[in-house]
Amino acid sequence: MSLLDLKLWRDLQRMKGQTLAVALVMGCGLAMLIMTRSLIHSLETTRQTYYRTHRFADVFVQLKRAPRSLVPRLAAIPGVAAVQPGIAVQVTVDLPGLDEPASGLVRSVPEDRPMELNRLFIRRGRELQPGRRGELLVSEAFAEANRLQPGDPLTLLLNGRRQEFRIAGVVLSPEIIFEARPGVSLPDNRTYGTFWMWESEIAAAYDLEGAFNHLTLMLAPGASAQAVCAELDRLLQAHGGRGAHARADHPSHVRVSDEIFILRTISIGFPTLFLAVAAFMTHAVLMRLLTLQREQIAILKAFGFTDAQIVVHYLKFGLVMATLAAVLGTGAGIALGHRLVALYHLFFRFPELHFRLDLAAVAVALGVGALAAAAGVATAVRKAARVPPAEAMRPEPPARYRPAWMERVGWGAYLSPAARMALRNLERHPAQAFFTVAGLALATALLIVPNCFRDSVDLLLGFQWDVVQRQDLNVGLVEPNSPAALSGLRRLPGVLAVEPIRAAPARLRFGPRSRQLAIVAVPAETLHSRVINKHWRQLSLPPSGLIVSAKLAEVLGARPGDLLEVEFLEGRRPVCHVPLVAVSEDLTGLGAHMELQALNRLLGEGDRVTGASFTLDPAQRAAFLRALKDIPQVSWVSIKDSLRANFRQTTAASINLIQRMYLAFAVVVAFGVVYNNARISLAERARELATLRVIGFTETEVAAVLLIELGILTLVAMPLGLLAGSGFATAIVEAINTETVRLPAVLTLRNYSFAIATVATAAFLSALIVLQRIRRLDLIAALRAPE
Amino acid sequence: MNAEALRLESTEASPPLLRARGLTKVYGSGPAAVRALDGVDLDLYPGEFVVLLGPSGSGKTTLLNQLGGLDVPTAGDLWFGSLNLARASEAERTLYRRNAVGFVFQFYNLIPSLTARENVALITEIAARPMDPEEALRLVQLGERLDHFPSQLSGGEQQRVAIARAIAKRPAVLLCDEPTGALDVRTGVAVLEAIERVNRELGTLTVVITHNAVIADMADRVIHLMDGRIQHQRRNPQRVPPRALQW
Ligand SMILES: Nc1ncnc2c1ncn2[C@@H]1O[C@H](COP(=O)(O)OP(=O)(O)OP(=O)(O)O)[C@@H](O)[C@H]1O
Ligand SMILES: [Mg+2]
Repeated sequence: MSLLDLKLWRDLQRMKGQTLAVALVMGCGLAMLIMTRSLIHSLETTRQTYYRTHRFADVFVQLKRAPRSLVPRLAAIPGVAAVQPGIAVQVTVDLPGLDEPASGLVRSVPEDRPMELNRLFIRRGRELQPGRRGELLVSEAFAEANRLQPGDPLTLLLNGRRQEFRIAGVVLSPEIIFEARPGVSLPDNRTYGTFWMWESEIAAAYDLEGAFNHLTLMLAPGASAQAVCAELDRLLQAHGGRGAHARADHPSHVRVSDEIFILRTISIGFPTLFLAVAAFMTHAVLMRLLTLQREQIAILKAFGFTDAQIVVHYLKFGLVMATLAAVLGTGAGIALGHRLVALYHLFFRFPELHFRLDLAAVAVALGVGALAAAAGVATAVRKAARVPPAEAMRPEPPARYRPAWMERVGWGAYLSPAARMALRNLERHPAQAFFTVAGLALATALLIVPNCFRDSVDLLLGFQWDVVQRQDLNVGLVEPNSPAALSGLRRLPGVLAVEPIRAAPARLRFGPRSRQLAIVAVPAETLHSRVINKHWRQLSLPPSGLIVSAKLAEVLGARPGDLLEVEFLEGRRPVCHVPLVAVSEDLTGLGAHMELQALNRLLGEGDRVTGASFTLDPAQRAAFLRALKDIPQVSWVSIKDSLRANFRQTTAASINLIQRMYLAFAVVVAFGVVYNNARISLAERARELATLRVIGFTETEVAAVLLIELGILTLVAMPLGLLAGSGFATAIVEAINTETVRLPAVLTLRNYSFAIATVATAAFLSALIVLQRIRRLDLIAALRAPE
Repeated sequence: MNAEALRLESTEASPPLLRARGLTKVYGSGPAAVRALDGVDLDLYPGEFVVLLGPSGSGKTTLLNQLGGLDVPTAGDLWFGSLNLARASEAERTLYRRNAVGFVFQFYNLIPSLTARENVALITEIAARPMDPEEALRLVQLGERLDHFPSQLSGGEQQRVAIARAIAKRPAVLLCDEPTGALDVRTGVAVLEAIERVNRELGTLTVVITHNAVIADMADRVIHLMDGRIQHQRRNPQRVPPRALQW
């Protein structure tokens, strides 16, 4: 070991606390970067592999009924590589353990040929046995939520007829990585599942022998999905085609993509902030270390060490910190990444979702860490290289001071000597004071972001379930029906209020842009599913025209007054031009609303409803649900409380985990910055403080000198930090703006108080440590020659 | 003249201000242990001007630090009146330093962010019966540089501010560790004059460490340390004023 390295080693040992603090802050940024990047990497590569190995389709279309003979014509559409016709029907499920009706989608498994697209992955049990009837496969999410095992019986209502099945296997499909009832952004896996059975068995139940009502296609490389969709729509028009769509409109695919998008947003914003703080701290630590070692540097130069040798020596300080940070950060990133991945497995169903370390992210993290350290060292080292060797020969000249401005304007008389020392010191080193304030402000700001995230999600949920949806549950009918069908439901036990709903699948088009969704129609003055404007006031539905959610308006590029083309995808499939009359606030999904009569007029099928919303007497809710199970027209029910509970266990749990991790990081950083700052100030002033102790100042009096200064800086930094934090939080949270979910940035007093309290606590604890150190201050050393 | 006789001779005047018995300081332990002080017996009287001589590493600074209550001995006793500094708590020693001791260091140790007057006022604000900071600075011939910061003063001037700071509290003991070590002869003389004047006019017990044997002629008593022990001491028949010292 060279002597300079020995010095490095000794110096680092003396600065253990600070070295560790810098490494921790930097490590937090790196851990975050590695954690989120690896999660993205895991999700992306796993999805890609899954799609490829299980041949996830490119284009999807649901129709009423088409003969098998049509398939060759569809397969001949230019750009189509493979077609898979099949049957998909909505069914009601009777689960003995469940008090409410469950429903699901039954899909066909071809008997005469292998499954070409959307192949299944058998998690447990086995495939359907050729020739055996009364068997089915169940999606894993549903099976797990209801504790179903291969071999268990399951009762389905197929076309109104109860039929007993036995579960052969629990499976996964690339089509339902995220499984939820169509049009619902939050899943309830207990009451909605997907099932597969032999094609002949469903065909028999639904009179679809020799026909299909669902089609998936794979495109040849380079083929245009849009062109294929258009051609499909043309060919299937006569067969009740509901509009072909590509992956970009596939609910499960979109959901995973959105999640990745959100992670990506977070993976850039947060770590950047953290690493900036780390670079800052490294810079501060080294700057001040060099100031303390000015004479040593001069002596080294006087002995003939070259500038380059000295620069390298101090760069090593930064590298040691960066290396330590990389080790800590990578370790923590991998450990936390594993936990996150395990959590994502809860609501994204992949055959295997393994944590895959994003080596590129590690490389980036190392690079960024080293760069942060180097940036910190750069300016400091340049200064070091400029110290003339002659400096070493003279005792340290006292730093130049002058009265602080408070004294210059005549307030000096009110200041104690300690306050005077503090103020003059701050004025003497404005750059240092600025950097300290900036560091403390950033530490405060970091604390704002994760809590803003939490508060925004809370607001979203409150909006969704308390402001928009006032009903207790929604019931969907098997098919559009006359309002009379609801009168039976109205008489069920515990019903306080019922409101009819008509949902109609449609394609909304404005100019070149279009989206496929269900237009939801309710009475003009509804109490249940309310349409809300951006001031959170209810909008009354106009007698004609559409109200669309702000996000849909943005996606379509339409504004109130514009005429939208509405192509209905069921019944007689009318195409109409409907004015956009207003824009509503909606934080999840895309929404389009109309007044009930207005929609029915457009559809031209007379008075029809597809479901209803209910308010119930809580005491009779169970009785209501049990009764509901026996009504054949009922296809599904969605219960607000179940959705909410389910959401808390999955999505909210994941958001909370990430939020808590980030918050923990932010707290570590806040402490690191505050502590580090206190330690550096102490190191710089050690001689002065020890002198004060020698000439008779008590420990508390001496500590006051330092703490007044730190206190002033902290007080200045906190409001700036809140301001900066609000900015960062707004930028990061509002970047989460997808068609699945939009987060409005919410800044609460609670959030601010927490940040202030944390920084104040950090400052207080650091003050205690400083006090402790002052107690151990080496008085005798202070009397010797300055080092 | 032996040590016993010296003590007897002076005891008749007044009781000793500081009384060390078997004062021992060991740094480290085991084979690496250093006996910086090895059973020092010493009486120091009010108004005395004492010079401590001895080779480097002989224990001068260690002894001075003990006398100033900066450190506690490994063994032995050190009495300041009825206060045994060897057994005193940190708080008691702080109070002792605050009210009874003035320190002057080789490297001045002024607070750079405070002016000359404020450096002195720092002490006068906390001491029991201080003099006016300006008076203290006049005593060291610095009455005109009151509002200068340390960076605006020469080394000798800074050291004189340090002396003013040390004596402004009217200490019973003034302890100086190589006060002229970093100064040239002429400046050194000015500093020694200030110390001598304080000793004479305020009757402060003054202990000065120096490597310069010439300075010993200023003293009432000269103590030679060697390997942590008092090797011998002598009493000067008369004190030579600093200006008349033969360099
Ligand atoms: N903190 C310490 N730890 C270990 N040993 C020490 C310590 N302080 C002093 N010593 C040792 O104690 C002995 C006496 O030191 P002291 O500083 O009292 O000498 P000194 O007579 O003042 O020397 P100088 O004239 O060089 O200032 C020396 O051998 C020194 O190495
Ligand atoms: Mg010494």
